[in-house]
Amino acid sequence: MTPWLRVKATCFSRNKREILKNISVEFSEGELILLTGHNGSGKTTLLRIIAGLLKPDQGLFELNGGPWSNWRFIRNSLRQNTCYLHQQPYLFDCSVFNNVAYGLRRQGVGQQEITSRVTAALEAASLDHLQRRHSRELSGGEQQRVAMVRAWVLTPRLMLLDEPVANMDKQARRLCLSLINQLYKDKVSVILTSHDPQQGELQLTRHLHLYQGSMEPKPIDTLDKRDT
Amino acid sequence: MESLTEASLQAIYLLATGDRALWAIIGISFSVSLRAILIATPFALVIAFLLTYQKFPGRRLLIALFNTALSIPAVVVGLTLYMVLSRAGPLGDLKLLFTQNAMIIGQIILCFPILVAMGHSALQAGDRRVFETAITLGAKPWRAMFTVIHEARFGLTAALVAGFGRIIAEVGSSMMVGGNILNHTRNIPTAIALETSRGFFAQGIALGIVLLLLALTLNLLLASIQGKGEIKA
Repeated sequence: MTPWLRVKATCFSRNKREILKNISVEFSEGELILLTGHNGSGKTTLLRIIAGLLKPDQGLFELNGGPWSNWRFIRNSLRQNTCYLHQQPYLFDCSVFNNVAYGLRRQGVGQQEITSRVTAALEAASLDHLQRRHSRELSGGEQQRVAMVRAWVLTPRLMLLDEPVANMDKQARRLCLSLINQLYKDKVSVILTSHDPQQGELQLTRHLHLYQGSMEPKPIDTLDKRDT
Repeated sequence: MESLTEASLQAIYLLATGDRALWAIIGISFSVSLRAILIATPFALVIAFLLTYQKFPGRRLLIALFNTALSIPAVVVGLTLYMVLSRAGPLGDLKLLFTQNAMIIGQIILCFPILVAMGHSALQAGDRRVFETAITLGAKPWRAMFTVIHEARFGLTAALVAGFGRIIAEVGSSMMVGGNILNHTRNIPTAIALETSRGFFAQGIALGIVLLLLALTLNLLLASIQGKGEIKA
């Protein structure tokens, strides 16, 4: 499969500390990638760069017919194609429906279509009963899933999930991972980070490992071993 | 000199009977201060946002300057503006001195640092994820700014109330650049100062009551808005 996004020789440092060292990675359509690494290994930084939220010190990006080195153009293209979810996603101070509708409104989608798309997405994620609830009344797991639906409804090419199941109980984790599988089946590429390689419930296609800012690709079968 | 009770009763009578001169003063006060706050707020919010979310050289110095400007006495603003707007001043040709527009300019200068400094604090105390979440969901940076402002609206309302409270009650600048002209530039604080100096306490107390009622209303409004915020949080 031809990769639609190639990130080459990307470096990032902060306060004279090298966080990412010469990272090169490529992404094809319909992938479900697990990115593991210790705390502070650079997982979040890499996701934020791919999401166009953080400017790398250097790097080359190939997408939409590129290679490009103009960060402004790269940033805008990355933002158009990806959606990044924080480890604890932020839900706006309004109802679940309005949260999910936020991105569609920014795209100028009509109210009728918004209603049908939001309702359908919430139903597909078994969250339709929360539609009228205020975002601050949701549990942590529900907030995470609503945030995923909010991104999913925009049909991004790539979703970047930062530790989506961290600090969740078994039930919330199961629901969340099942939603990630659902995104993958819906042809959305997903990269999720975790410091734990045990993500047995997920239909992973690739495993990447960051060690002290450098990328180490790992075969999927190593996921069974606790090697982080 | 009238007794305080007598003057207060007379003040309530003046307010209740709709004394035309009194209500004209109240009208000018509100009209001038509302226009000043409406003009100042959008610019102040943009600056507060940039100070919070953008890194640029001199940012810390700018924050320090706005914080310092919080304590500028109204009379100093009035004096400076008087010199600038007077016939011999650099903007004398605009003939703004002793007009409501001059009062509005003075009040903008007075409330601007409050709006920026308190707005900056409110935005800084807010969640940094709001802006990034809005951006990643496809909002343009200016639209994401509105989302950030919306999410920080409780803190920003406090800044607005504080700014309005400062200018509706200030006497120094309005007196100097407005000239305290009846039915034109006489507002509540300048009228209170004048009536007190003339020994007409009833009208001064009546206007004082209006200011107190205004302060009470604004604070109740703020408490109700912030109360709603607490329930949701």
